Amino acid sequence: MTALPRPEAMAPAGSAAHALELRGLSKRYGSFTAVDAVSLRVERGQFLTLLGPSGSGKTTILMAIAGFVAPSAGAVLLDGADITALPPERRDFGMVFQGYALFPHMTVAENVAFPLRVRRLGQAAREAKVRAALDLVQLSAFAERRPSQLSGGQQQRVALARALVFEPDLLLLDEPLSALDKKLRAELQEELKALHRRIGRTFVNVTHDQEEALSLSDQVAILNHGKLVQMGAPEALYERPRTRFVADFLGKSNFLRGTVREVRPDMMALQAGGTRLLQAVQGAHPAPGTPALLSLRPEKIALLAGEEAADNAVAGRIEAWAYLGAGYALTVATDDLGPLRVALPAWRAPIAPREGLPVRLGWSAEAAVPVLEDADGA
Amino acid sequence: MTGGYRAGPLARGIAWATVIYLVLPITIVVPVSMTDRRYLSLPYETLSLRHYANLLGSEAWLGAIWQSLWIAIASTAIAVVAGTLCAIGCWRLARRSTEWVRALMLLPLIIPSIVYAVGLYRWFGTLDLLDRFLGVTLAHGVTGIPYVVITVSTALAAFDPRLEQAARGMGASLGQTLRWVILPRIAPGIASGAIFAFIHSWDELVLVLFIASRNVFTLPRKIWDGINENLDPTMAAVAVLLIVFTVLLLLLDGALRARRDP
Repeated sequence: MTALPRPEAMAPAGSAAHALELRGLSKRYGSFTAVDAVSLRVERGQFLTLLGPSGSGKTTILMAIAGFVAPSAGAVLLDGADITALPPERRDFGMVFQGYALFPHMTVAENVAFPLRVRRLGQAAREAKVRAALDLVQLSAFAERRPSQLSGGQQQRVALARALVFEPDLLLLDEPLSALDKKLRAELQEELKALHRRIGRTFVNVTHDQEEALSLSDQVAILNHGKLVQMGAPEALYERPRTRFVADFLGKSNFLRGTVREVRPDMMALQAGGTRLLQAVQGAHPAPGTPALLSLRPEKIALLAGEEAADNAVAGRIEAWAYLGAGYALTVATDDLGPLRVALPAWRAPIAPREGLPVRLGWSAEAAVPVLEDADGA
Repeated sequence: MTGGYRAGPLARGIAWATVIYLVLPITIVVPVSMTDRRYLSLPYETLSLRHYANLLGSEAWLGAIWQSLWIAIASTAIAVVAGTLCAIGCWRLARRSTEWVRALMLLPLIIPSIVYAVGLYRWFGTLDLLDRFLGVTLAHGVTGIPYVVITVSTALAAFDPRLEQAARGMGASLGQTLRWVILPRIAPGIASGAIFAFIHSWDELVLVLFIASRNVFTLPRKIWDGINENLDPTMAAVAVLLIVFTVLLLLLDGALRARRDP
């Protein structure tokens, strides 16, 4: 990380990036468990996103990291040191709040200077740092405006500058992009990612937007009902979801249910009604006769022409379709596997979709992944 | 509130009657204060300003005004500090018990002031605070607290608690958060409370009648005595000045509120 060029004023002495660890973190409100024994580790300079539906406990975890929520059990560690009991004002973490929480009675420059003023930094040093931070988010021209005179995207960047100006050990982001419209969100996602690369600090982000999580993060932790369901790099999570919930929450997925008939070292055969499915297996091999659940992404299903062969093939009829510009979203009704969602690229599509059209679908043995049925509450 | 139906003649009639009923007793003192007679009456032959001249030349009247002003300023300071801290504390803790504290703070407003005055009289007697500047200031300060608690609590209800979190997350201590974030945001509410507490002390009579006699002689007390002893039209002149002063304070309050919500 130290090899990366950084804007002068943002470069701290020594290592800027810190590692964060949560050990068995729990938070209970009466009989309700908001966070249930979550343990995870963010390495120095990484971008971690806590992803989950509302009520999954992701914001509570972030607030516990920031120090605003006292955990019922477990510990928060920064570079191995226990900081669980430290009040928020002594943690030196930068935070971008949901809705930004800019001080409306201060100008942009005063907002950004606030953390420095609190630290009793001299006037000259303060001004230099504020200028550097505003340069970093390209808002130097707006220094004397009030937050209410800025657009949503500009306010978001002021909040970022304010959170970064005091060179925090960690940057926490609470749904930083949720208040913006779609196009602006995509733009700021790119900016945020570039910023993270440029300053090389550890970022912890909270979102319910799976696209944002996939595009921004080095690591994504998926939460549901207060529990950590799976954590990993975005590609790993998308390609190898462990449970049905992960496959369903991260992108779209079809779920195929069958009974294991035959198991070989790298392959197994499932029976789903009258259809025989061929499925690659890694790791644990299920015993023959047990039920199995497969997750199959819509874009991994192809339309088979004529008598074309595939590892898995099934016939069906188009039940519904939608044109999305880049592709078609088809729902194909099949006898044995129920309705299957298929994503078909529109460019040179082999068919013109219409309702009731008979089609044959095919996918390779590696296309689908066996997933676990969600345990109760996980 | 635009585009509604116009009020009918009955509703307009009632509304105007109410306005006149409210305003007439206040405005009647204006001509009375300019009477050319030596007793309380409407002007007979000409308008005269001699009662105003009398007021400004009278040591007794000016002394009473002066004393009232100091008591009002000092008691406003007490009410503002105590009321603001109480409102912020209740807001920060936000438990059921703080609701009770807030209700308790409104007691001086709810309990008839004559009841309060009787209690104070007994209590101040043992504390040797009767007929002293400090005693009246304390009494007015404490009874002024409810106005400040109400206006500051209202201002805090509109305050985004995330601003406080943001300040603390950036390393601000409680004192710094209070000074740089919370107080500037609720300043208009504090100013409103201060104005009401000031007006409360400025025209308070019942408490003063009980706990003060010769040494402390406030303006309302002087008017009261004037009515009892002689019907000097100087009182009407004082009343006009009081009205003007109070209206100015209320206009100031309105201006502060307008600035708060642009």
